[in-house]
Parts: sequence; structure tokens; C-alpha cells
Amino acid sequence: DPQTTAFLLRKQWTLYSVTPLYRFSNARLRDYARLLSACIAAEKQKGLAGGGGGDLAIHLPDLKGSDQDQAAILVQLSSRSPASQKNSEEKLIWSGWFCCVFGDDLSENVPEDFTCLPLFLANGAETYTSIVGSWFQKTFDCCFRRLAISPLNLSWMAAMWTGCKVDKTVSAIELVFSVPCLPHPLDISYAIHPEDAKALWDTIQKTPGEITQEEVDVFMDCLYSHFHRHFKIHLSATKLVKVSTAIASAHCDGIIKFLQSQYLTGVLMLLTELAISQIQ
Amino acid sequence: MDETVTEYIRRTVLKIPREEIKAMLQKWGFLSEAQLETINFHQMKDNISQDVVKLCEENSADIKQAAVLDIIYNHIYPNKRVWSVYQMNKTGEETDFFDLRDFKKKFKRRLRSALQNVTVNFREYEDNAIWIRVAWGTPYTRPNQYKTSYVVYHSQTPYVFISVSVLKSNLPLLCEALLVASNYHDIREMELRSHSLNSLKDIVFKRYNQNFQTYRPRPLQERNVVPESADLRITQENRSEKERIQRVNREIFGDGPQPKLEFAQYKLETMFKSDPKMHVLDKKEPFRCLVKFHSPHLLESLKSLAAAGMADTPLSPLLTCIPEKARNYFKIREKKGFFPGSFVSP
Repeated sequence: DPQTTAFLLRKQWTLYSVTPLYRFSNARLRDYARLLSACIAAEKQKGLAGGGGGDLAIHLPDLKGSDQDQAAILVQLSSRSPASQKNSEEKLIWSGWFCCVFGDDLSENVPEDFTCLPLFLANGAETYTSIVGSWFQKTFDCCFRRLAISPLNLSWMAAMWTGCKVDKTVSAIELVFSVPCLPHPLDISYAIHPEDAKALWDTIQKTPGEITQEEVDVFMDCLYSHFHRHFKIHLSATKLVKVSTAIASAHCDGIIKFLQSQYLTGVLMLLTELAISQIQ
Repeated sequence: MDETVTEYIRRTVLKIPREEIKAMLQKWGFLSEAQLETINFHQMKDNISQDVVKLCEENSADIKQAAVLDIIYNHIYPNKRVWSVYQMNKTGEETDFFDLRDFKKKFKRRLRSALQNVTVNFREYEDNAIWIRVAWGTPYTRPNQYKTSYVVYHSQTPYVFISVSVLKSNLPLLCEALLVASNYHDIREMELRSHSLNSLKDIVFKRYNQNFQTYRPRPLQERNVVPESADLRITQENRSEKERIQRVNREIFGDGPQPKLEFAQYKLETMFKSDPKMHVLDKKEPFRCLVKFHSPHLLESLKSLAAAGMADTPLSPLLTCIPEKARNYFKIREKKGFFPGSFVSP
């Protein structure tokens, strides 16, 4: 649905993996909102969260992959300006949502009382993420962990997203490498024209719609050797920390930005998979 | 006194680290020693700057004095700005006698003839550097003291270091005024940029330690002598490789510290070449890439890559030529010869 997608696109989301929630009920959303609001208000009293009045809402937007997936949960924190006018605009200050997109691997093996929503995305101040996270952990006996994205997974994303067809090829395929352990740290940004990168990938991928590890390795090796030819530096010895394409951009610390509505589900599916393997 | 001037002085003082404020005000010389004695330099910076402003009001400071304080601040902390290097050319051999007064007069006049609303200030330093501060206005508004460009000109050289800041559209006018005042014919940008003004000077004036071929009568192995009592079963397997890396780095980079640059950028328009057995891309058009290197001290960082096992020795000439070619922005195309803009094929 267009409003939801507009809300998701072009924002920076911090990623977490979440273990299944115990005894979460879709029917009790209003109670949960009330309790969580009280929790946040208490933290504000202690001076741990920002000032101003706040409204907390919990919705169930339509964000799933298959019908087996659980309905997503969206938590939104808005604040009204302190000048308590009735029509003052509410500003959205923090959003967090739990989702599961094609996560059958996890939900199949889990007992009745559990709700499987392994992927959590947060946008807004870290203090709120931590308050909301702690409340969910206490209330539903689950565990949040920052989702780390390994260089291996980042190279998959690079290869996959390079192959995607995009209407207007505006964004380059950018790979960012970091070499922190030198006396003076070094960052290398390697950006390839999207048409040229896609042309390379198309000669490597054998079956459309399918990608193998070997194909990803060949793709990355080609890029590394082109770089080595010019600079005599082995990029394979450095750490791949970020991948940016027209589809999305992903950072190894578990940060994602969705850029194309067309491929939103695909990226969420990949992230769900990563979250599930981090939990298991 | 003009409110904009007092506010500007207040904000300039706030930028200065607290321990340095007194020294900088003394360098400025606008407030007397007696006046400076009345200020408590151990209080909060907000209060120090208020006290300074009060004294400036007593002395009726105007924009000229405020501008000089700004120049002094930028001269001591030039690394807060990004500097680009420009080279001027003149035809003919004559080295004109440089007349500072004439230079300043012509520069101001050329600027003002195009744009009335500018504040122009000069300050000379011992190393023949002339610092020029220009605050820009528009045909309808007074000069904005917070939108300034800085020019550092060494009169005995054709080089100019410019920090333009936000109003890039004023750059052509600035260059024109420089040419007229210094009696050169044209000026070109050198594709060399950095925060570190002194490093740019080092590169352009060739003040960094270049690679001298020194005659070393003793082989390098003898320098790290292993004590006789050590276990003979333990050997350093890669010792000769490590020594080769050290030696080659020394030949390329020289012995001294490298000029401090923060980035280098390469626009690659070369062909993609691969092992034909791999059956991958074999296009006749260039494989277009943009490569950027970032580091707090780029050249030292690149120098340490080989020892860390991440690069071959010798490092690529595309990287090692940066100080010698005096540029850190490159466009590399596939060509036969080897000179800026071309690339040696493997």
C-alpha cells in the first residue's frame, strides 16, 4: 500500500533480530500502547527521554510476504509541541516495526503461544529504541540483538541488487571498504557505473532469478582485480562495510535504507533471513 | 558601535580555544595590555567573549579590526577550511618587481569595480605570504562577514591557495582580481585540494622529502641483528620480503614525513580486462568507476599498506605520484603513454 511504502522509503532504519514473542495478542494492542506509553512517561520523569507531550500508537500495517507470515507490528511515537494548542501538529519522532517476510524457516518450528517476528527496524533516537526494546523484552520474554551484516552478506546484496532492473539508472553501485588497523585508518569508496556493473553481472549470472555463491564470488573477484590492476591494492584483504545501489543501501553495523518500492519485499525477505540465522 | 561588528567579534572569540584567547588577542593588538589584564581568562568562554566585546566597544572597533582578528584566527587554524591550489602563468621572462602597495590597490579596485559590497583586508607574514580576506555581499546587500573567501599568495611564486567557502560564483571575479593585481595572464586550478594548507605548500614548493637515492654501504640485514643466544630454530620467514618492502617504500616515498592530505579521487575510464577463460565481460567500452580514498593522513596510510599485507610493493604509480604531480584529483584513461590522464596497461 502506497502510504506505508512511502513511509518506509528513504529513511535510515537500524536493524535488530528478535526472538519469538511469548503470548503476544493482536487483540490487546490498545492495552499494550497504554502500558508502553506509561513506561515512556516514567522514563521522561527520570529525565531519560526528551521533553514534550507524547502519543504512542501501535498498529498492524499490511506488511507480509506470505500468508504464513505473522502480521507486522508498527509502533509509532509522536510528540505534540509543548505549547498545548489543540490543533498543534503532531510530529512523528520515533518509529519501530516488527516484521517477518517469508520467514517460514522460523515460524514452522515454534510452539503455539509464540509470535514470530524476527526482524525489528527502528528509526529515531536511540533512547526510545532502548526503552521500547526493554519493554518488549520484559513483557514478551524475547531478546533483541543488533543485526550484524557480514562482508559475505554484503557482497550478496551487491551482486543481487546490481542485477535488478531499474527504470532510471541514476545511482552507482558503491562499495565502501575500511582498513581500520593501520597507523592511519583508510576508507576506500569504489563506485561503478550501474550500466557497466550490470553488464558485468549479466555475463556472470547463468540462470535468471537464481544466484549462486560461486557467481557472487566471480563478480566480486572481477571488481577486486580491476581495482588491483590500477592501484596494486588487494581489496579482498580489507573489510567491506557498506554497499549502496539504486535498490537500497546496507551497512555492516545493521543499518539499511530502502530506495525502491518495487524491491522492498525482496530486501525485507533477505533481511528476515539474516535475522533468523542470527537468532538460531 | 555597529551591532553586526560586535556580534562578529563575539562569535570569532568563541571559536578560539580558551587557552589560546589571550595570546591571540595580544597578537591582534587592538586591546591594550592594560585592558587585557582586566579580563578573567579562566571563566566560561561566553563570559570572556562578552568582556572582550565590551572593551572593543570602548575602543570603537570597526569592521576592519574585526576582519583582522578573523585573519589571525584563520592563519593559526587554517585546517578548518578546505584549500584549493591555483597556478598563474605569464608569458615572457621578466620577473617584475613586486610592489605590495600596488598589488593591494589593484586587487581592491578590480573587485570593487565589479561588486561594491565587499570587505577586503590584507595581512602580510614573514614567509612572504600575503593573506587576503574577502567578505562578499551582493549588489543590494552589505557584505556578509560570515561568507568569506581566503586567498594566500606567495608573491615570489605563481601559486595561490584559495579557500572559497560557500559562494563559489564569486570565484571567477576573485581570480580576475588576482591576475590584474599580480600582473599574470591566466590562472588554472591544479586539481589539488586539502584541509592542510601547509601540506599543500610542501607539495607545491617541493618542501617534502623527495626520494633521494642514498648510497648504503651496509646491507640492511645487518641493522636488525638477532642476538646470538636466540633459539636458532626460530627464523623470520618473511624477513627478506619485509626488508624489500621497507627499501622500496623508502625509494618511493623518501625518508621524511609525507605531506598531509585527506583524500584522493580517481575517475577511471579504462577497459575491463579479465582472464579470457572466465568468459566474463569483454566490452569495447570503458568500465566507468569512481574511486575515492579517505584518511586523516592519506599518504602515510598508503605507505603502510604493503607492510600490512594489503598491497603490493611497489605501490601503484597512480598513488605514489600524488606529491610529485601536485594533484589529488585524477581522470585516468587507457592510453599508450604514461602521463597524467593516461594509464600503463599491465
